[in-house]
Amino acid sequence: MQHPFANTPRPWVAVYREVGITPELPPLSHPNLGAFVHDACTRWARESKAKAAFTCVVPNGMNGSLSFAKVDELSDYFAAYLREVLGLHVGDRVAVQMPNGLAYPVVAFGILKAGCVLVNTNPLYTPAEMVHQYKDAGVKALVLIDMFADKLPSVLAMTTIKHVVLAGVSEFFPLIPKAIIRGVQKVWAQVLPPVTVPHTRIAAALAQGRAALQKAGGRLHAQNYWKSIQPHELALLQYTGGTTGVSKGAMITHSNLLHNVQQMLAMGGTHMAPGKECVLTALPIYHILAFTANLLGFLAIGAQNILIPSPRPVQNLQRAVENYPITWMTGVNTLYNGLLNEEWFVAYPPKTLKASIAGGTSLHSAVAKRWREVTKTPIAEGYGLTETSPVVSFNPLHGEPRLGSIGIPAPGTDIRLVDENGVDVSFGQGGEIYVKGPQVMQGYWHQPAETAAVLRDGWLATGDVAEMDDQGFMQIIDRKKDMILVSGFNVYPNEIEDVIAQMDAVLEVAVVGTPDEKTGEAVRAYVVHNPEHEGALQPEAVIAHCRKFLAAYKVPKSIVIREELPKTVVGKVLRKDLKAEVKAEWQEQLKANLHP
Amino acid sequence: MLTEFETQLLGLMMMVIMLGMGASLTYRDFLIAFRRPKGVLIGLVCQYGLMPFVGFTLAILLNFPPALAVGLILMGCMPGGTTSNIFAYFSKGVLALSIMMTSISTLVALVAVPALLAFYTGMAGIGSEFAVPASNVAQVLVVLLVPTLIGMVTRKLNPNIGATMELIGSFMGIFVILFLIVTWVPRNHMLLAATPVSVYFAVIGLGLIGMALGFLLARLLRQDRNRSRTIALETGIQNGPLAVLIVTLTFTGAMQQEVLLIPVLYSLFIVLTSTFVTLFFRRLADREALARDQAKTGSVSQASR
Repeated sequence: MQHPFANTPRPWVAVYREVGITPELPPLSHPNLGAFVHDACTRWARESKAKAAFTCVVPNGMNGSLSFAKVDELSDYFAAYLREVLGLHVGDRVAVQMPNGLAYPVVAFGILKAGCVLVNTNPLYTPAEMVHQYKDAGVKALVLIDMFADKLPSVLAMTTIKHVVLAGVSEFFPLIPKAIIRGVQKVWAQVLPPVTVPHTRIAAALAQGRAALQKAGGRLHAQNYWKSIQPHELALLQYTGGTTGVSKGAMITHSNLLHNVQQMLAMGGTHMAPGKECVLTALPIYHILAFTANLLGFLAIGAQNILIPSPRPVQNLQRAVENYPITWMTGVNTLYNGLLNEEWFVAYPPKTLKASIAGGTSLHSAVAKRWREVTKTPIAEGYGLTETSPVVSFNPLHGEPRLGSIGIPAPGTDIRLVDENGVDVSFGQGGEIYVKGPQVMQGYWHQPAETAAVLRDGWLATGDVAEMDDQGFMQIIDRKKDMILVSGFNVYPNEIEDVIAQMDAVLEVAVVGTPDEKTGEAVRAYVVHNPEHEGALQPEAVIAHCRKFLAAYKVPKSIVIREELPKTVVGKVLRKDLKAEVKAEWQEQLKANLHP
Repeated sequence: MLTEFETQLLGLMMMVIMLGMGASLTYRDFLIAFRRPKGVLIGLVCQYGLMPFVGFTLAILLNFPPALAVGLILMGCMPGGTTSNIFAYFSKGVLALSIMMTSISTLVALVAVPALLAFYTGMAGIGSEFAVPASNVAQVLVVLLVPTLIGMVTRKLNPNIGATMELIGSFMGIFVILFLIVTWVPRNHMLLAATPVSVYFAVIGLGLIGMALGFLLARLLRQDRNRSRTIALETGIQNGPLAVLIVTLTFTGAMQQEVLLIPVLYSLFIVLTSTFVTLFFRRLADREALARDQAKTGSVSQASR
């Protein structure tokens, strides 16, 4: 098998040289994330020009901050709480289910320092989704946002979770703003449900951890928790549907994350001044892009991290953008498009902005172009997957932006493009992207068959089909896997179909994606009425049913009722026929819009 | 009439409200509002073009004696009340527009109120003993504008303190009216019983007619339904407590008692009127939002192809 890169193994290295990217990755700075976090906090407490390490800003401008030293201290206490008070061991899974807030870094770093495995979870998950994930991972402890404590009773009974820690959105805020925000949440908005299960609040957990640590010999003792953690040990179980749609945990190691941070810093380094950056984190940290890039990557360079608990509506970002000297942003197409539609942003774009990263979903060239015009800064689209921690490729920040391209592979990454027969394709031809590199996961948790299906000889099959030009720039042309990207979130037709099929009134269902101006793609379900069921099949009923079992972004935006669905000779539903119908429908609409 | 202490307390509460109003704004909010001045201009026309005229017309039509006429015209000339922001929020209106209209009409009041007051009281043939000197209006407003500026500066320097001030200011807006009810009504229940229906008609009418005209003018000038509803509330809700302060500064004794009647009654009734109108507007807003969603997502139900 002739590798197209046989003569020039990594043709994109020439581009690295042009734009000032070091092609070789340095050796790992630390053996594990505990050491990394502790070191970064200690160094930047001294050297960073940032006013704080993490600042959480709520829509009306109220805010709270944690310094580098404080984050280090509190995460030590949380690690001690996990190891000493709860008696957890290295490798035990601890789930975190919160929106962005000051508690997130404290808890996440604490879990990593303790050598436990972090399971990032979407706080909007329904109890059914929570149970599936927590059972699969064998989660022993859960840190949950207090707003959703009412989901606990139905979840705890069905999982191995023994300990619950609750934290609030205004955790670690100064006294009065904290009291006001809690007061408004409790009395006005009524979003704080009473908690009926045994739990500990984060402040109490940290106090217990602190006491335990002092008994064990003081803060220096905390370093024993991570001293012997090896790079190949698990740091995260990051759940994703992968290529088949069954939700499974990608096993991400300390080495994966540390390397991906290096890769990210190598690609963006020309626009990053250590100790002087201020990054806006509107993307949720439980999403792998914000976790690696914002939480870990920008910590590595001592930046101030502005955390936004709720980026919808996009107006919630206004005070944060006005009050802080934002130099970097990460986002998805939906966010950038949203900001470009806000008068306050377009009239006064942040003067300090240096560069932005777009990931999660493809960046529309119209949005990218307008963003560059309005902010006068580069926006670089990147590509990656949960299974690759996540960064695989990235457009260089210098030079002419290539519209529609996902860029060149990050340093240390190898790419093959492979056709259906397993043969490597040449430049300009489409093939499935196979990735090899230090950022590739170890496999799926307890899913040997699924793992074997995608990981072979260290090469990961991504399910995305792309072309590469002779300089190494790639362009996605198709998606092999049946996956829908709603605002950068993976949605798997299988999961939705399973839920809808439970309805008595539904005989058959097929779910496909449709283009969507706001979210990139939207979910559509084609349903067939069950003739044995009395009563008509109402689209509203289908949506209501979905809302009970699925997080909001997975709920179909449109329902189409059909007499029957296209099938193969053996009776398998042909999603691609429905996709073709959708494509035709949208093209007709486009024509109609152009010639009214 | 209000005792000296009550007047001072009222003044203090108004300063807190103004502090809160300032803290809800940033310099940039003004710049952004002025990029598209149409909404603000419509607000000013409603506030200082329509309302004083409505007040004047009602006073003439209902044949009010000078004391009542002055009170009604004064009410018509007032800038927007800060409670309009709360009602705009609850009616699911455009809060930013409401805040901007209230602030700008308050700033402009320094010049507009004395001029309009002099004009309309002159037109109504009200004698000089009932005249409200411009200096009194200016005095009260300047005292209130200083806290506004302090609020804005504080917001810039410390968002936490600024946001807290904003919240306290909003509560104070409602509290002030409750304060007026509690201090004034019990002492004057005889007066209230003897008050002719025409006075009640005038105070309620000023608010409702103002809202109706504000809505119509906004729609005429092509503002969408939601913005028009917000402009309606903004137009009809005047700054009653501010009028009370001006009256207590200008008049004493029995005259103060008489002139105070309309501003105080207006302040009481506007809360009731606004509540009903807001609930109604809220239902309209919900209905429109639902229609929009259904049109967009199209819970498409198609017969088989």
